[in-house]
Amino acid sequence: MSDLPSGEPVVHGRDLSGPFDASCDVVVVGSGAGGSVVATLLAEAGLRVIVLEEGPYYRPEEYQRFRPSEALRRLFRESGMATAFGIGQTPIIAITMGRAVGGSSLLTGGVCFRIPSDVHHHWVTDLGLDALSERALEPAYEDVERRLAVREVPAALRSRSTLKFVEGAEKLGITMKPMRRNAEACEGNARCNFTCPAGAKRSVDISYLPSALARGARIVSDALATRILTEHGRTAGVEGRLLGGAGGRPSFRFVVRAPVVVAACGTLHTPLLLGASGVGRASEKLGRRVTLHPGVRCVAMFDDEIGGWDGAMQSVYSDDFAPEGIKLVGVYSAVNVLAAGMPGVGPRLRRMAREVKRLAVFGAMVHDEGGGTVRTGPGREPILTYAMAPRDLARLRRGITIVSEMALAAGAREVYTSVTGADPVRTMDDALALERSNYDARRLECMAFHPLGSARAANDPRRGVVDPDGQTYELPGLFVADGSILPTSIGVNSQVPIMAMATRIAWRIAEKFRRIARSA
Amino acid sequence: MSDVASGQPSRTDVALDRLDWPVRGLSPRARRVVFAYAEAMYADEDEKGAIVPASPAVCERAASWLDHSVGRASGDLRRGFAVLTWLLEMMPLFVIGAFSRMSRLPIARRVSYLEALERSRFGLFAMLLVAFKVPTSVAVFEEGEELTSTGFDRPSTTARRRLPTAPERAP
Repeated sequence: MSDLPSGEPVVHGRDLSGPFDASCDVVVVGSGAGGSVVATLLAEAGLRVIVLEEGPYYRPEEYQRFRPSEALRRLFRESGMATAFGIGQTPIIAITMGRAVGGSSLLTGGVCFRIPSDVHHHWVTDLGLDALSERALEPAYEDVERRLAVREVPAALRSRSTLKFVEGAEKLGITMKPMRRNAEACEGNARCNFTCPAGAKRSVDISYLPSALARGARIVSDALATRILTEHGRTAGVEGRLLGGAGGRPSFRFVVRAPVVVAACGTLHTPLLLGASGVGRASEKLGRRVTLHPGVRCVAMFDDEIGGWDGAMQSVYSDDFAPEGIKLVGVYSAVNVLAAGMPGVGPRLRRMAREVKRLAVFGAMVHDEGGGTVRTGPGREPILTYAMAPRDLARLRRGITIVSEMALAAGAREVYTSVTGADPVRTMDDALALERSNYDARRLECMAFHPLGSARAANDPRRGVVDPDGQTYELPGLFVADGSILPTSIGVNSQVPIMAMATRIAWRIAEKFRRIARSA
Repeated sequence: MSDVASGQPSRTDVALDRLDWPVRGLSPRARRVVFAYAEAMYADEDEKGAIVPASPAVCERAASWLDHSVGRASGDLRRGFAVLTWLLEMMPLFVIGAFSRMSRLPIARRVSYLEALERSRFGLFAMLLVAFKVPTSVAVFEEGEELTSTGFDRPSTTARRRLPTAPERAP
């Protein structure tokens, strides 16, 4: 490894006073769930690795003290205000993405699912992706779950908010199952998505990157990769700009030369890097058919005090409605974020905020068809448009009805749905009437935490951007290891699936590295 | 008079750390619009039931947080908020038929205007309100009386849960 202008394991790019030109075996662009896994496994395999991260580097003991508003401004992309532009009858969809060393893994609820068996089956039987079968990924799942210390959330950590919905589900015959999470030491602070004040969540900066750094890997934060370098039709490295100018604007240029580049910038940003480097044009699949898992939440008001902030933010789920493409998930949020989502303006909003202690929250997430398209924007950020399929919109409406019914069965006085300006639901008739009513879909407030599939894996270069080992068809030596390579929507939280796919890709790179380097 | 209302640079303490860029994302005019919006959005009632604008400190917290957050985001988002702020200011005529900018409406009419946006059957109006309401409310309800009013039983949003102590371990 040569010429990184600092001896620190993690280099703050914004503090560097000039350009640099470095070299290594593998350069990984992005330090989230995909990039950190690849970087760590390759460093452990003895390769010289440099990780480039566009966002800043905060140590865990720093970010664990952030208030939610500080976490939003410092760790979330676009300060937490990134949104998909809806086309036609498509709701507002807020997109949550991390932009810091550790990526979105800093901001998850810690929920750990494997890809469901029926999705793996679809990949094998319909898409011919035998290499991505459940059995093929089993060793990778095991490795990831061991490092993350994935455990079932004990019933004692269920908040009273969750217990209310579980009670309602039981009365309706809906089965609730305990979630598995990577927060073994969770003490139930219920604000995981703004970092854990107890440091219980094993995000990749805690579970993976320390091992990479101990084996000589280096991380450069505030480093925006803009283009893949090529020589003789092969990958030769990455160039970009440090974000050390006033206000985070680009300052000095950098080049990192390596025979292997791994793009792990996330589903929305990997297409920008690939597209800027001329990769992905042949299949015309780059940036197309992005899936989001759009979700809605319902807030139920009870007569008694709930104090839902004591307990795990997420602890139960139900897949009873999986055949309809709907997953029910227990969820909570920081108290100020919950207040922000309450209906009303002025005195009514103030009154609602005073009732937050009586609120319980539950959510529904849709296994969507994939109506998203990533395009290059006028500035540095991509533009994501999303045309929601009518079937998925109907699923969201149905999800609201199911969750409302659970709340009412548990004795809720009123349910506030995600439909902006709608009257509260007080009876099942209200819930069904809301589902049937022809309201403008743009009144529906949605969230999406799992953008996937903008550079899909396929067996055929005409049908995808990368092969099942993550290597791009058009540029040897360039790999992709993030959510963008997932061939379809998976219907569950994507952190462990991305990490398992990245693990498998890292193992393949380690096996093939000498051959790739010789070719280069 | 508050910093925003006076158009002077804010002295509000948006905690900036060593890795923060002290960049502002809203123009002075846009900050004044956000301040006026916050006066109505977080207004309360007095004992007689009359609407009282939110305190300057609360409005300043909302405007400063949005200003610094938009400033930290991309140029695309900054331009987007410039347009949204202009729309928020200019739409009263089309929403409640008032020949006035939002910031010049009396407080009760301003509250009515925001309510009408929220309850509009036209989804784009609701989107306009949500674009401001969610981010500013995160800042407003994060501290002070506003946090206390929620019944949250910890001293701050960063405080850890008070775990019950097992009887045998109790001192």
